[in-house]
Amino acid sequence: MYPEYMQESIKKVEATRPDRLELARKLGKMIYPGMNKQEREEVLNENHPDYKAEARTKVRIGPDKGMVMTTEIAEMLERYSRIDIKNFDLSKADIKTDVLVIGAGSAGMSAAIVASEQGSEVLLATKLRLGDSNSMMAQGGIQAADQADDSPIIHYLDVMGGGHFDNKPDLVKALVNDAPLSIKWLEDMGVMFDKKESGQMVVQPGGGTSRNRMHSARDYTGAAICKVIRDEVYNRADKIKYIEYTAIVELLLNDKKEVSGAVMYHLENKQFSIVKAKSVIISTGGFGRLHIRGFETSNHYGATADGIAFAYRAGAHLLYMDSVQYHPTGAVYPEQIVGFLCTEKIRAIGAQPVNKDGELFVYPLEPRDVEASAFIRECNNGKGISTPSGIKGIWLDTPLIDQINGEGTIEKELPAMLRQYQRFGIDIREVPMLVYPTLHYQNGGIDINDRCETNVPGLYVAGEATGGVHGRNRLMGNSQLDIIVFGKRAGQYASERAKTIEDAGNLSLDHVLAYNKEVEALGIERSKVSPIILPDYIPDHVKAKQLIQEYNGTLI
Amino acid sequence: MSDTQKMVKVYVMGEAYMVPEGSTIVGAFEYAGFQLKRGVGCREGFCGACATVYREKGDYKLKGGLGCQTVVTDEMYIAQIPFVPADKPIYDMDEITPDAGTFMNLYPSVFRCVSCNTCTKACPQDIQVMDYIQAIIKGDIAEAANLSFDCIRCGLCALRCPAEIVQFNAAILAQRLYGKYIAPKSPELEVRANEIIEGKYVKELEELATMEKQKLVDKYYNREIKIS
Amino acid sequence: MKENIKIPYFPGCTLKTKAKNFEVSAIEASKMIGIELTEIPKWNCCGVVSSLSTDDLMKHIAPVRNLIRVQEMNDSGQANGNRLLTLCSMCFNSMKRTNQRVKNKPEDMKSINDFMYLEKDYLGGVEVIHYFELLDEEILGRIKEKSVKSLKDLKIAPYYGCMLLRPKDIGIDNPEEPSVMENLISSLGGKPVKWDAKSRCCGSYHTVNNKDIVINLAKGIIENARKSGADTIITSCPLCAFNLDNRQKEIIKKDHGFRTMPVFYFSQLMAVAFGLKEEFIGLDGNYIDPKPLLKEKKLI
Repeated sequence: MYPEYMQESIKKVEATRPDRLELARKLGKMIYPGMNKQEREEVLNENHPDYKAEARTKVRIGPDKGMVMTTEIAEMLERYSRIDIKNFDLSKADIKTDVLVIGAGSAGMSAAIVASEQGSEVLLATKLRLGDSNSMMAQGGIQAADQADDSPIIHYLDVMGGGHFDNKPDLVKALVNDAPLSIKWLEDMGVMFDKKESGQMVVQPGGGTSRNRMHSARDYTGAAICKVIRDEVYNRADKIKYIEYTAIVELLLNDKKEVSGAVMYHLENKQFSIVKAKSVIISTGGFGRLHIRGFETSNHYGATADGIAFAYRAGAHLLYMDSVQYHPTGAVYPEQIVGFLCTEKIRAIGAQPVNKDGELFVYPLEPRDVEASAFIRECNNGKGISTPSGIKGIWLDTPLIDQINGEGTIEKELPAMLRQYQRFGIDIREVPMLVYPTLHYQNGGIDINDRCETNVPGLYVAGEATGGVHGRNRLMGNSQLDIIVFGKRAGQYASERAKTIEDAGNLSLDHVLAYNKEVEALGIERSKVSPIILPDYIPDHVKAKQLIQEYNGTLI
Repeated sequence: MSDTQKMVKVYVMGEAYMVPEGSTIVGAFEYAGFQLKRGVGCREGFCGACATVYREKGDYKLKGGLGCQTVVTDEMYIAQIPFVPADKPIYDMDEITPDAGTFMNLYPSVFRCVSCNTCTKACPQDIQVMDYIQAIIKGDIAEAANLSFDCIRCGLCALRCPAEIVQFNAAILAQRLYGKYIAPKSPELEVRANEIIEGKYVKELEELATMEKQKLVDKYYNREIKIS
Repeated sequence: MKENIKIPYFPGCTLKTKAKNFEVSAIEASKMIGIELTEIPKWNCCGVVSSLSTDDLMKHIAPVRNLIRVQEMNDSGQANGNRLLTLCSMCFNSMKRTNQRVKNKPEDMKSINDFMYLEKDYLGGVEVIHYFELLDEEILGRIKEKSVKSLKDLKIAPYYGCMLLRPKDIGIDNPEEPSVMENLISSLGGKPVKWDAKSRCCGSYHTVNNKDIVINLAKGIIENARKSGADTIITSCPLCAFNLDNRQKEIIKKDHGFRTMPVFYFSQLMAVAFGLKEEFIGLDGNYIDPKPLLKEKKLI
């Protein structure tokens, strides 16, 4: 339950609710005017965490030396390899495969399925378990322009505008064009999309969409998709080998500077092993668990941007690594779930953001960065509600959902959300949720073309690890789409390449050796290593007793 | 952690530690100095990696839950479950039918259900697990798919089941059978997918992709918004 | 005349899968004679699953849960009379036995109720009956009245098996000389055949692991019926029906001279006699095609 002192504010929310309900009945979603271009720029400049001076730094080494990046990413890239290269035996590969897929969220698993269908031998390696990923956690939906009043053309415009026109046009073209085919692929595999009796998809709008385009599977959309894809991977055990609790720590290059494999590290038996592969697909996801700007995150435990670290060392260019997505609605109360994502679908089906006085202050479905910035502004203007531990938030007025759409809507449409809050004695059908932006998505990543190729031959990337699809701001429902569209493409093209190659060539870590020297030249302490692999939540006073010397990576 | 933080005693796999009040079980492990690899995942209740069993002070019941969602209480005994060995038969979705017979072949253990409901009691998602297993036995695959939809595959049902049924794997099969065969196909998706295969939007997309930026920006801000 | 009967009814899994023809014919034929079968909500297994027999109490949990459903229906006014009707002999037997066990052993009742703490306690007030127990003079009269197609040319061997009759304190009729099915056949206008094998064992669950035992027993039963002049056999047990009907496939493989014989659920012949449409008779669910026989006797 909410503490006593918040009740006064909740009463104000209740007091303005009937008028706001009336407004919603009259105007639908357009209960508050949307911002124009100038207003958007203003609110972003003044409030978005990315726009603060210390948020960005020039990276000092590597293929994109001098590029401005999110400070924490630049810091992660300016680190040493986890391997003692001089003493590392590369003479013999432990495993040989056609295609190595790194990371087993929906992008990696889709890639594995498609590559195996093309006749390639696939090794799928993940540092946790199959499906342990942000893909599994996506709640609200997946976009695809399949309705009669919609088209890939309109979808294209929405994506570009949402991304502030920084998106790579070829990638957006692929995204919107393949979208309906991807939904069809999932439907045929047995994903239980929300449908009407006729079979017509139930579609909602999302922030920044100009049509109802959001497909869902209750509020377990990501899980519903990821579980089915994973089941399909299990079913193809003869063609897709998978290996869990195994992190990739470096890529291997041959003499022609093409990718020829990778070094794997088993988190439990602590053994390194060498994979030789003709093509390598990175689908390692994003960086939420690096807690950029100290923000809480909605991301999976494993979201430490490992792929960015070893791809960069191998020479891959990055794009928009200066752009972070803060989801407008992360939970700030109760304390146990701070950072927990409250899906955009909550606003899409009628919940309204209001301040401590119960006043509307923003159109509920602005693009995410704009919406999040508006929330931060409201809190900075003293209109937020403080939690007992001092975090500020604004109300997301959920009881309206049932009032607008009929009783039982929340139970049916948002079962995960309802259950999550009920665990802590809060019934979101009766009282609003307290929210504040949470670190949600890595907008940038490894630069790819529409075949998922990087500038390093043989290296493919799909999903959140890529940059360019969403420009500097992703719209809701386009990452679930992105991972399927580009996961499938990566599987296709990586497999095609593998077929043309007799032998991947020699296995070398020379590029890492050279990179380490660059790190050393910066005077970085030797104990700083990457990829990070897992975040570290052991408190300092305990950690101080665990280590006999300072150690700046995770223990693993 | 401030000095005024109230602490509670928990037994991590039998050994006592003091951890902050309000910690989740996963948080308690970490506060005690464990870096978890297994028994932890998304930390938001979606992935099922952190199945846990615990006993609370003065209660004989062995309770199950998710380590990231369950808050510790004073004198609680906690343990994370690293792995659930579970039968997962291989099947080709194109070769099977949405009926009880499919389960007789792939998951015969389902038919050993004694209706004890231990699975339902163990489920941290409040799923009526026994009811969906019984629905499978009755051949009502749609009911099984709907009842089991929220399953996150933590495995507690299977671990507690006296009949050794692998409920959570049977659940995904029921869901896929429903999604593929029982739920009506989306007619408008079929139409749009065919248009795309025929290349209907290629030209117009290419025009947009090569359009001068200002023109595209204008087009965006002037686009018609039709949402409901 | 008695009022129409509306009674909570337990289908059991077989009637929802392999024996759909049993259920549809029984429900539709019963409507004709003023018996309305109301499927109980949220029913689970009848309890026949005995694979976990090391725990003697565990197997009684399922049936008790079904009895609680009936108790709830009575408490909420959805039903009255506290009776639970089954069509399947196996469901009848296992649920009635459990009911008797927990009524006679309060300590077992308590253990089971404690285990099922999410449910309301079962108080022991429900009575499990088989469909045949509804067939009193009044109902038999109604059957006679509604029989528009005479079965007089059809010689029918009533097969009881064991679940309806044994053990004695569970059975619905005299275990040595039962007559309830004969009475039904006569009311339908048919000729009950006198035969020796009517309560002989069909081999039951041996059909899973020791098919040959069942093949031999079934062959003996069918040949005994044939020898006694029967055209067909009727039963109220899906397992008996499977063993007598489907297993004829294997009998023919072993004995090429074997003459097949259709096997019906009793309710299917009720549906035939009442002149119901074929989808309500459910003839497609029978393994040995009964249509030639019914056509020959001018019944369809």
